[in-house]
Parts: sequence; C-alpha cells; structure tokens
Amino acid sequence: MIFNEIYSMLAYYLPPKANLIASALATFVLILIVLIATPIILGWVDRKFSARIQSRYGPIYVGKFGLLQNFADVIKLMGKNFVTNQYVDRFSYNLIPILSSALSFLLIALLPFGAPSLTFISLPYNLLFIYILLAFSPLLIIIASWGENNKFAVLGGFRSAAQITTYELALIVTFISIGIVNGSYDIINVIASQSLIWNIIYLPLTAVVFFIGSIAVIERAPFDLPESSQELQAGWRIEYSGLKYGLFMIGDYVKLLAVSILFVSLFLGGWSGAFLPGIIWFWIKTVVALMFLMSLRWSLGRPRIDQLLSIGWKWLLPLSVINLIIVEVMMLI
Amino acid sequence: MNDFTDKLLKAFPNGLKASDGGTIELTDKKKLLKVVERVRKNFDILFMLTVVDRPPNFELNYVFSKYEGRDILILRTLIKHEESIDSITNLFPSADWEEREAYDLFGIKFDGHPNLKRILLPEDWPGHPLRKDFVVTDEIKNWTGLDLKF
Amino acid sequence: MEGRGIELNIGPVHPATHGVLKLVADIEGDTVKNAKVEIGFLHRGKEKIAELRYFNSYFPIVDKLDYVGALNWEILWASTVEKAMNLEINDRVKYIRAVMAEIQRIMSHLVYIGSFGQDLGNLTFFIWALRERELLMDIVEEISGGRLAPMYNRVGGVFYDFTDGIADKINTALSKIEEKVKKEYRAMTYENSLFIMRSKGIGIMGQKVIKENGVTGPNMRASGIKRDLRKDEPYLVYDKVDFEIITENDSDVYARFMVRVREILESIKIIRQLLKDMPKGDAKISAPWIMKVPAGYTLVRHEMSKGEGAMFLVTDGGLKPYRLKIRSPSFYSLQALPLVLEGCKVADAFVITASMDPVMGEVDR
Repeated sequence: MIFNEIYSMLAYYLPPKANLIASALATFVLILIVLIATPIILGWVDRKFSARIQSRYGPIYVGKFGLLQNFADVIKLMGKNFVTNQYVDRFSYNLIPILSSALSFLLIALLPFGAPSLTFISLPYNLLFIYILLAFSPLLIIIASWGENNKFAVLGGFRSAAQITTYELALIVTFISIGIVNGSYDIINVIASQSLIWNIIYLPLTAVVFFIGSIAVIERAPFDLPESSQELQAGWRIEYSGLKYGLFMIGDYVKLLAVSILFVSLFLGGWSGAFLPGIIWFWIKTVVALMFLMSLRWSLGRPRIDQLLSIGWKWLLPLSVINLIIVEVMMLI
Repeated sequence: MNDFTDKLLKAFPNGLKASDGGTIELTDKKKLLKVVERVRKNFDILFMLTVVDRPPNFELNYVFSKYEGRDILILRTLIKHEESIDSITNLFPSADWEEREAYDLFGIKFDGHPNLKRILLPEDWPGHPLRKDFVVTDEIKNWTGLDLKF
Repeated sequence: MEGRGIELNIGPVHPATHGVLKLVADIEGDTVKNAKVEIGFLHRGKEKIAELRYFNSYFPIVDKLDYVGALNWEILWASTVEKAMNLEINDRVKYIRAVMAEIQRIMSHLVYIGSFGQDLGNLTFFIWALRERELLMDIVEEISGGRLAPMYNRVGGVFYDFTDGIADKINTALSKIEEKVKKEYRAMTYENSLFIMRSKGIGIMGQKVIKENGVTGPNMRASGIKRDLRKDEPYLVYDKVDFEIITENDSDVYARFMVRVREILESIKIIRQLLKDMPKGDAKISAPWIMKVPAGYTLVRHEMSKGEGAMFLVTDGGLKPYRLKIRSPSFYSLQALPLVLEGCKVADAFVITASMDPVMGEVDR
C-alpha cells in the first residue's frame, strides 16, 4: 500500500504519531493528484489521438501542444451555472453524479499502479470488490434517469440497465475463470502467478470476452448506447450540466484507465516482462491497451441495442462459459 | 402524350377543354375526381400542385408525371376564392402535403382531405400569405406565436 | 394490463434530425408504433419573396433553398427564367453549369455520407467526408468566390468564366476523392460489418410507397426504379456524356447509401468527360439585369442531388414573377417517412431519417 510506503519512508525523520498524520495527508494529496490528473491527461490524449485519426489538429492553443487545454476546460466547467429542470427529483438528481464518480474513483484506488506496493487500498479479494463496483452502476443510472424526469433519459436508463446487466454476466464468468486459473481473487497474486505464462495464453476467448464486456460495462463507444448523442441526445445524462456533467465525464475517463489497467493485470501479465523494470512494462502495456480502446471509439459505429444484447447473450456468455469449462478440465488433468 | 390527351378530351367532352401548351383545362370542377381517376391510368406521380391566385379566382395546376418516360400533363382548373374543391388524396396519396400546403398558404378548402391542417406555418397564424390580397397587418407584425405565461 | 407507450418528441432541435425536422413518435418498448412528421420550422416564405423580387435578384434566395446543393437550384432557376424568356445560352455556359452541378452533387452526397456515418455513432467518418468536400469547396470558391452559397449563375450565363488551370485542379481533387471513396470509405462504411449490421434490412421503402408518394432521386433508385432526368429528359449537356443510372434493388437504408456512393463515382466520370470537351466561348450572353419576362407558364425540372426538383413559374409580362412554385424532392421523401418508420426500432428511426437525406431548407422553403 502507498500509505505504508510513505510511512516507512518518513519513519526516519518523524516520530510515529506525526508520521501517521503526515503520511495520511501525503496519501490523500497523492490520491487527489491521481484523480484530477488522470481524467485531464487522458482527456488530452483522447482529444489529440482522435484528432489525428480524423485528420484534425486537436487542441493546440493552450499550452505546448494544447497540453493545458483540459485544465482550462475543467476550470470553465467549474464556473458554469447549474441548470436544473424544475421537474427533476432533486435528491436522486444531485446524488447520482457524486455517487457514480465516487464509485469510479474507488475502482481506481483498488488497482495497482505498476508495482505490488503501489495501491491505495489493498484488499484480499479486490477482484470481487471491483466486480461489485462495476455491477453497481446500472442501479445508479436507473435512479438518475428516473429522477431526471425526461423521456430520453428514461430510454437511455433502461438501455443502460439492460446492457450492463447482460455484459456483467459475461464479466463475472471471466473473473471466475481467472480465479480458477490463478487460484486467487487478489490482483497482485493474479499478476504474480502470470510471471511465466500470461493468462491470455490460457484464456484467449475469455480475454476477448472481457475486453468487449468491459467496454460495454463502462459504456465506452462503440457501445455507448445509453448516452448515444445522436439518438438520445445524451441519454440518461441529458439534464445534467456544469460540474455535475463534468463529474460523469471524469468518471468515464477514470473507468477507461481502470479497465485498461485491469486488462493488463488480468491477461497481459501486469508488470512481468524481460529487460525493462516492471513498472515501465506495466505502463507500456497499459498505454497500448488504452490506445486500442480509444481507437475503437473513433473507428466504429455503434450497434443497435438489440444487436448488442444478442451479441452478449448469444456469443460472449457461451464463449466465456466454454473457456471456463476448458480451463476446468485442464486444471483437473 | 398527345394520344392520351386526345382520349382524355374525348372522354369528358363537356368537362374538359384543351388550353395552350398542352395543358388541359377542367371547366367543371365537380368532375375533378373522375378526370384524375382517368389520368391515374397513365400517370403515376402527382408531380406538383401549383396554386396561382388570380383574384377573384384560384387557379389550380395539377402537374402529373410518370416514372417511365418524360411525359407531363398539366390539369388546370379555376375555383372561386370562397369555393372548395375535392381532395385527390385517395387517388394520389402524395397530394396530401401539397393540399395541406395550398390550404396553408392560400386557404383553399379541400373536401375529403383526411388531415387538413396547416403544414408550413404555425397553426394559429393569421391569414394566408400567398394570396394577392394579403397585407401585413398589425396582428401579423406583433404575432409571436408564443403564448407565454410568466 | 395494457401498457401505454411513450410519446417521444424528437426535434426540432436534435443533433440527428438534420436541421429542424420534428418527429412525434409513439414508442412502445424500443419500437416505433407510428410516427408523425412535422415540418415548417425553417419556413422563410421563399415563394412569397419570389413575387417581390426581380428575376436576377432571386438567386441569393435560391441559394439557401438546399444549403448543401445550392448550385443545383441556382442552375434550375436560371434555366427556368431562360426558358420563360426563350433565351438560348452558349454551349460553354451549358458545360460550365453541368460541371458545377456535378461538383455540387458530389459535395451534397459527401455531406449525406458523412452525416449518415455520424448518425451511426461514427464521428470520424463525418469529418473525413467533410475533408473531401473541402477539396471541392476550394474549387467552387476559386471559380465563383463563394463556398456554401456561391451566387454564381445569372440569367443568360454565369458570372465568371473558369479560371486558368482549374481543369487540372478539378481533376486532381476528383482523383483524390475517387481514391478515398474506393478505399477509406469502403473500409469505414460499406464493407464494414458493424455498418452493414446497422443498415441492412431496415427502413425498407418499397416501390408502392415510392410511387404513391412521388419520391424521386437516389431514394427511388435504391428501390430499383431506373429513372434519372439527366438521362430521361436531358437538359444542359447531359445527352453528350456517357454515364449510367445507378440503381440498387434492396430498397433499404444500405441501398440508399450505396446509391449515393456509386453516384459520386459516376459524377466524377461525368465531370472528367465534360472537362475534356469543354468548348471555347463566352461565359454569358448579354441579357439585362432587370428585364421583363413574357407572360406564360414555365415548368422546368432538373435532377437535384436529392431527387427531381422543379420550378413552376407563372409570369404576367412584368419585371417580377407572378407566382413561383418550387417542388422540392425532400418534401416528398419526408412525406413517405412515416410509412417507412412504422415498426422500426428507435435507434433505427434516426438512421432511416438520415438515409432519406432531408434538407430542411428545401422542404420548408
């Protein structure tokens, strides 16, 4: 855990009680930096990357290469008025952005950042906990869409619930497979047991299922049907504005990073790799996974909801179950 | 085209007469539906419906066309401003919006039209702007279309 | 218990309705039970304005009818007035107009393709299509000085002759577009499995619906009706060029898309031929700016990028038109839209609407 690292580093200089407070503060500041920097940097990468795909320049004016553009945007977002429809259900309307972004922040706090000790929270069964966090979101979205009192939002909310529920089933099967192959639900142990052979070799089908399923669960394009901006305008986010909308967007980027870290940790061996230090390997893999996720968004159109669901039920779920059975049989032999 | 025009003229000797430029003029507006039904045997598009305001009459030009070939038939009929005319939506469904437009901009009533409402202008717009006697009154100048309650 | 569906108001301000089209859809679950189309949000009274303006002063108004295919309408208006005046124009003007009309057709189809891709959730494709359109925009700008609304034609000719070396520039731009359409667009759209999944088999507009509603143009040709005014009733110089009428047989959204893609390639072919045998001569004949047009009725119809556009001009021998009626092809396509939308999925409703290529400036006039 990061807290322990900082504590042991400062133990030489400070008495135990002061050290406790100082390292807690330091951890808190670190969390804040990570949470703020991730969406801003990722946002910049996303914008620049998509711009290059679309033969545009992307942000160029604010800062070198437009690096500061997203800082400017966040500041702008914070200065915006909250426009609230008078018919919304205030309680759920105001609660959901906070809850939903808190959940995604929690998600990233559970994940390792390139070394076993670099986690904010370490739990013995953190893979299951991550699953719970992902499984929580349809509930929030339904509450939000119902509270917004808007037809487009309700349509988006129902779509979202159907989609996430479908793909979570596929996800849980992949998590079970991982648990069986690696004998643990702790990400650190899962990575440790892949030091020789990556999971993607044992579980190629599961890796594909996880990849598609996780895009669908975090509602990233091309599976962003619940908030498809062309059909439902913004789906269940339609009534949100200003920082409340910003919180959703920040949560999106954080989830994107979380999913790519998760993919790297579960299937691509985390920080295992030759020649280079583990942390560099880890980030190289994560960036590649991230870029792949982003390029999908800019190169594919989105399927229809019934097509998406039928892919989920008819292909991904059976495939992951088949892979699970194969793995079980292999383990028995 | 000429064959068909001749046949049409022969079929309705006291309702139709030939006019300049291959146009057929319908003198008896009660025969409109029958004539159009006959026209439908040869033409399959109501290409457009042009209403011209020649006070005190409205002049309706039904332009028919075909999906094969280049034939065009213009059927012209005159009605008085306050008169109504039969709707041909049953024969040519594409007349639906055209007749609504004529009603909207000229105020011509079409009998038997399933949904004769304004189409281009707001439903509570005062007046019919393409009539020659249309003048911009104060009511129109101050019309906002909004029934605002604060 | 019988559940009541949702009545969904889509538009008039909605990112996917291409302007200010309003759809009122009764939705049950994710299925559209029936839909109504409401138009008129962009009505600017262009037919009324025509009665108040001189013939040549009406060109700027015509430009804004179909704001992605302005030159086509300009040429139609010029031809209408010339026919009403019995004015014979030079061969060179005819060639120039045909070239410009085809350039405009390509531009309009590119916008269609791009916005269609965008409605499928693929923003990249929209920007790519606009990138290719930009090449032609530059050419139109060099020739006419305008981009979206060029104001290039006048009664009796065009304002400016082609600039020196423009033929080479056009050819370069065309070969670039041809390559992009054949390679990049293929990968991105018409051979992309996600795209095919979304567009095949939905929004079927059969020949019966088409004939009843007077739908023309690419929407009609996607259902296998072989008709194109450029061939059936050649105007300008279309009888001197060799091209095919593009038809598809599936009459679904994919077919309507493919007709446009293939028409771009066909238009490129036409422009190349026209540029090759463009005659020398004046770009306009001397006609007064303000003139009297003899009394009578004039009906001229041209093949627009969206279908058959026509103008019915009634003159009384004065300086201004007595009455002008504009037939906009999108108006008729939209009339058929509720029939096509019936029973489709909500997500498909937007794709089907986009596939009709409605331009509200033209519909509402």
